[in-house]
Amino acid sequence: MAQPDRLERVTDLLLVLLDTGRPLSLREIAERVPGYPDGHDARRQAFERDKRLLRDEGVPVQTSPIDGEDQAGYRVDPEDYYLPDLGLEPDEQAALNLAVAGVHLGEPIGREALSKLGMGGSWPRRGAPLPVVDLPLVDGLPALPVLFEAARDDAVVSFGYRGGSRSVDVAGIRFRGGHWYAVGWDRDRLEARTFRVDRIDGLPTRGAPGSADLPEGFDTDEAFAREPWHFGSGDAVEVDVAVDAAEASRVVTALGPDAVVEREAGGAVVVRLVVTDVEALVSWVLDLLDHAEVVRPAEVRDTVVGRLGEFVGRGAVR
Amino acid sequence: MSPAPDTAGRLRRLLAILTWLAQEGEAPIDEVAARFDLTPSALVTELEMAACYGVPPYSPDQLLEIIVTDETVSTRVGTALARPRRLSPREGLALAASARALLAVPGSDEGGSLSRALAKLDRALGGPAVEVELDAPELLDVVRSAVDRGERLSITYYSASTDQTGERTITPRHLFASEGHWYVDAWCEAAGGVRRFRVDRIASATPAGPAASEFLATGLPVAGNAGAGSVGDGSAAVGAFVPGPDSRRVRIAADRSMAWLLESVPSAVEVGEEGDRPVWEVFVAGDAWLERLLLRLGPDAVVVDPVEDGDLAPEAAARILARYRG
Repeated sequence: MAQPDRLERVTDLLLVLLDTGRPLSLREIAERVPGYPDGHDARRQAFERDKRLLRDEGVPVQTSPIDGEDQAGYRVDPEDYYLPDLGLEPDEQAALNLAVAGVHLGEPIGREALSKLGMGGSWPRRGAPLPVVDLPLVDGLPALPVLFEAARDDAVVSFGYRGGSRSVDVAGIRFRGGHWYAVGWDRDRLEARTFRVDRIDGLPTRGAPGSADLPEGFDTDEAFAREPWHFGSGDAVEVDVAVDAAEASRVVTALGPDAVVEREAGGAVVVRLVVTDVEALVSWVLDLLDHAEVVRPAEVRDTVVGRLGEFVGRGAVR
Repeated sequence: MSPAPDTAGRLRRLLAILTWLAQEGEAPIDEVAARFDLTPSALVTELEMAACYGVPPYSPDQLLEIIVTDETVSTRVGTALARPRRLSPREGLALAASARALLAVPGSDEGGSLSRALAKLDRALGGPAVEVELDAPELLDVVRSAVDRGERLSITYYSASTDQTGERTITPRHLFASEGHWYVDAWCEAAGGVRRFRVDRIASATPAGPAASEFLATGLPVAGNAGAGSVGDGSAAVGAFVPGPDSRRVRIAADRSMAWLLESVPSAVEVGEEGDRPVWEVFVAGDAWLERLLLRLGPDAVVVDPVEDGDLAPEAAARILARYRG
């Protein structure tokens, strides 16, 4: 007789594990699922391979202690496996498919998510193609899904950051300007903080669901430090920077039109920034070369002039 | 067709087909096969086999109820393994982030379908935990409609690598966002080749008539696969950086404390030490780009090679100081 197809055995195993109300021993499983070898060791080995396959595919196979010879029992809790139907209308399904097709994450994980929701396979394209968005996601950012999960579960997280250790109630994660950030309440510093996810050391440790304790009325949008000069913990200073026409459109795009306090006919602008990290601001202004100038306050202007003075006279040594 | 998958791949595909088919009820074999990248006969073989799967007592929860006729296949929502499944944190994040990213593209959700889908998704996943912000350059719509209509544009463009503003006529072909910024790959008439432009550095753009048909037929590099293209602007265009033919290698010694800044330069590689300080090598497409980097690194950073480039930062500093003293 031909060897039973392994897909059949694995599928039957999944059906049995989902249907059982109590953990089943390997002996009980082998009685219900055809295709396992008779010998104890061979059977155990085959089952372990199947169990690993299911877990790799995201099936939550639980192992728990049971009485009897086998000692360990297995089941899949349908609550952990199935999702309540989202009730998506056809146009909503099509929109999600467009999003997954148009946003490049560097791996097909969005498509796998759609498959689980019943929107698998390729979708016919209609209308003009939308622009493509590159979004670096899990590649090299193992902390990101953990922080996402913590924000959804209201779980406190701890992680290493810039040489220190942080304990944070995460309100949400955000992508801006090419980087992912986590926004939340820093328990040690007792203030709202923004963390760059790619600077987190290793994997964050997630506490129990519900363990987070965000302050009443925490506003993620307000707490989010959008620009490098918002990151410091110094007193907030208003700084006006004049930007000439060459760089004005880029600066206004980056800061938003609300930052503009003056607009000249030729296209030059003056923008007002709220700064808590003067060093970061100086770096940003220098990046604009002679297209930008700090107008006020005098202390910040003097810092830029002083920094520039240090360069002069340090030319190439020949 | 893709190569034959292993058992895990087949299980994944079977569950994907079942879950999709359960919503449709019944679908033509050809359509299902095309959708899941199988030949019709391979699909029928796979599904006829799966129809026999199941364990006693063969109740609906113990059986894959699949019916294959000559023309169609069908299943029911209640059939075991045909119901929507929970997403892993990575999958949930991927889906929510993709939807948010597309919503951040102006004009991408005029009917509101995506917003409604996202609201349902958020409800099932446990609240909106992810936000995506993309730049919204003023001229994005102009560039996008030129791509859609196959139109040329006359633009005023500031190139950060050369620090020059100039007029060009381009045929925009491919618009994309990378590392949070918008870029357009376009045929540049002056350069006689494909160049990449940052949309927020386009200061003005006016339609300049229909594109020549040969430019529309030209294959262009797409996002994430830019190796074949030339880069018009090798500035801090992180994800979009490809060393151009005119770029040079420059070695810079800087304190370890400045590593964060150098690591944000896509081409930067640590290549050795000078005294007790690390040395990085970067590709430089234009003097202005190097000036920016050196000014941000501070006066203690030193250009090791070529030494002539050591003059750039002092000269740039003097130029900027002239503005402050002017």
